[in-house]
Amino acid sequence: MLILAPLASGAGDEAKLYQVQEGTKVDAKTLMGWKTWRALACERCHGAAQEGLVGPSLVERLKTLSKEDFHTLMLNGRPEKGMPPFSSSAMVTQNWEGLYAYLKGRSDGAIQPGRLSPLE
Amino acid sequence: MAQTLQWKGTVQAGETNMKHLKRSLLVGVAALAATLSGMAAASDIEQAMADSKNWASQAGDYANHRYSNLNQINASNVGQLQVAWTMSTGVLRGHEGSPLVIGDMMYIHTPFPNNVYAVNLKDQSYKWKYEPKQDAQVVPVMCCDTVNRGLAYADGKIFLQQADTTLVALDANNGKVVWTAKNGDPKIGETNTNAPHIFKDKVITGISGGEFGVRGRLIAYDLKTGNKVWTAWSTGPDNELLVDPAKTKTWTNGKMAPIGKDSSLKSWQGEQWKLGGGTTWGWYAYDPKLNLVYYGSGNPGTWNPAQRPGDNKWSMTIFARDLDTGMAKWVYQMTPHDEWDFDGVNEMLLIDVESKGKKVPAVVHFDRNGFGYTLNRDTGELLVAEKYDPMVNWATKVDMKTGRPIVDKKYSPQTTGPDVNVKDICPAALGSKDQQPASYDRKTGLILVPTNHVCMTYEPFQVEYTAGQPFVGATLTMFPTPGSHGGMGNFIAWDPAVGKIVWSKPERFSVWSGALTTAGDVAFYGTLEGYLKAVSTKDGKELWKFKTPSGIIGNVFTYQYDGKQYVGVYSGIGGWAGIGMAAGLTESTEGLGAVGGYKELAKYTTLGGSLFVFALPSR
Repeated sequence: MLILAPLASGAGDEAKLYQVQEGTKVDAKTLMGWKTWRALACERCHGAAQEGLVGPSLVERLKTLSKEDFHTLMLNGRPEKGMPPFSSSAMVTQNWEGLYAYLKGRSDGAIQPGRLSPLE
Repeated sequence: MAQTLQWKGTVQAGETNMKHLKRSLLVGVAALAATLSGMAAASDIEQAMADSKNWASQAGDYANHRYSNLNQINASNVGQLQVAWTMSTGVLRGHEGSPLVIGDMMYIHTPFPNNVYAVNLKDQSYKWKYEPKQDAQVVPVMCCDTVNRGLAYADGKIFLQQADTTLVALDANNGKVVWTAKNGDPKIGETNTNAPHIFKDKVITGISGGEFGVRGRLIAYDLKTGNKVWTAWSTGPDNELLVDPAKTKTWTNGKMAPIGKDSSLKSWQGEQWKLGGGTTWGWYAYDPKLNLVYYGSGNPGTWNPAQRPGDNKWSMTIFARDLDTGMAKWVYQMTPHDEWDFDGVNEMLLIDVESKGKKVPAVVHFDRNGFGYTLNRDTGELLVAEKYDPMVNWATKVDMKTGRPIVDKKYSPQTTGPDVNVKDICPAALGSKDQQPASYDRKTGLILVPTNHVCMTYEPFQVEYTAGQPFVGATLTMFPTPGSHGGMGNFIAWDPAVGKIVWSKPERFSVWSGALTTAGDVAFYGTLEGYLKAVSTKDGKELWKFKTPSGIIGNVFTYQYDGKQYVGVYSGIGGWAGIGMAAGLTESTEGLGAVGGYKELAKYTTLGGSLFVFALPSR
């Protein structure tokens, strides 16, 4: 079953944020988002399943964090809480939208934790 | 005096250039001065090590033999060994290294927070304690448990290399701090797990952080003052490598030849050498006649080989450096362009071997990559490179002319590239042997080696560097070597002259402890379930065992006090193999793959922290 997730912002946008099959196969943009998550070792603070460790649970946070606020957060970090800024990371600046899509998919429960692969 | 002349002879043979002569004269004078001032300090540790009743350094001597002349305990009576005394270390997680014993004092160290206790052997009361205050933020940047490989002693001082990179010299009498030196920066993922080593008048230490993009180096400090004398980097420009492009040699097409200009820089893309690893957290050795320090360097940064084209020099390399100047006399890279995390940091044993009918001063090294190497430690010539586990498969053999491994593309993550899982590579990343040190049996000429018998799947992926964050880029699973006895370890006897396994004793788990052999014809080692075992050096037959409260990853040691011989070891599971238990990890790919591989350990042991000392029953 292919799940298509509309953007949650309520702005009436018809674009689909992510596509997922069987929980582990995703569209190219979301796949790059997952690879960015993996490349920057985010699980260090947020847990391998985004469930939270020393950093907060992203499964919870993405329920309310807007895409724009997510973008700002990735660029500036939260230095007072120990999250570094990622504005100098090529992978983040290029793939932050896919990263948002991946994390939203995790938060929605539509994308499973762990390894992902391309849509068939 | 004679020492200096010998040194000059070795380096200056064949030199006629006036400029070289002048420079060597100046360096020679400096070396002579250093030698004379160092002699007083040197004799204190050398004297202490020469007394078999002591265990005055981590390996018992400069040469990493881990051998004792004591023979009160021998093959015929070791079966009667019993507990003499025990002591809690007060700390949990992996207990590597061993205590030191000098005279009537024992000096104990612990994993993080790296407490040091001076204990009276008379009644095991504490003479003094040193309990450093370290920032707990260091722990998350220690990849493979909060281990510490032990203390060093010289010149009336006890030396501790703290996890937070602070090197401390303590007064051996009262534990007061004499000097400290900051050796690195944990904020960028730099920590220390290695034991400091005292060679002559220098404290030699290294750095950890190969999984955090740390740039590796070996550092020498002045024994008396703690001033930094030299820093020898593993990657980068020649002046930072402390090499002479014309004089520093490496094995090239069947003979030694100069490494040439920019040997490291040329083997990396762009500025990747700055994240080039080559960390130095293993065990070092020293030859006082040649005045050379021997050690190996670790992985070349990221575990994703496609991201760092080139041979990645000088990661995975054996170095021979002049103790006084740090200049490299020769180097040998064992695993060019590593694809498996086969760190080259394991101990260097200095042994004289019979090679082609002649006695050769050799250095022997059991690398993570599964090959046992023997090289001429004076010239750097490659003599032997053979598998010390027959199931090693990533390379078919080492080409003895070029010194390079012949890689089997079937087991090459570089070949298939990122995001492709390569199966059944042997050995696993933790190697056919990790840091657990072997022991040289001076009587038989064989080396007793504690080994791992583990294979892996390995899937590399693209990573980006963020200072202080992991910089790895591979997902691993580990498992016992398939098609074998089903266990994850062997304790073997190895002939270093020809590179052959003489006998092999299988174990359920990797033998992760340091071995000890004695003149009593007994070899000791500890198991991950917690057994301390004594075996015959002749055939590996088990002569005695005792189950300590927790798994053993420490090094077995021996000493004599008040006429009685004792054998001891720390008991406390952890280290890379025990990281699941030590850090409370449960996902099989966590702990760089070790959590899944060693999950069976939980059936046999749990965390602990103690010292066990054994002796024969009193008559």
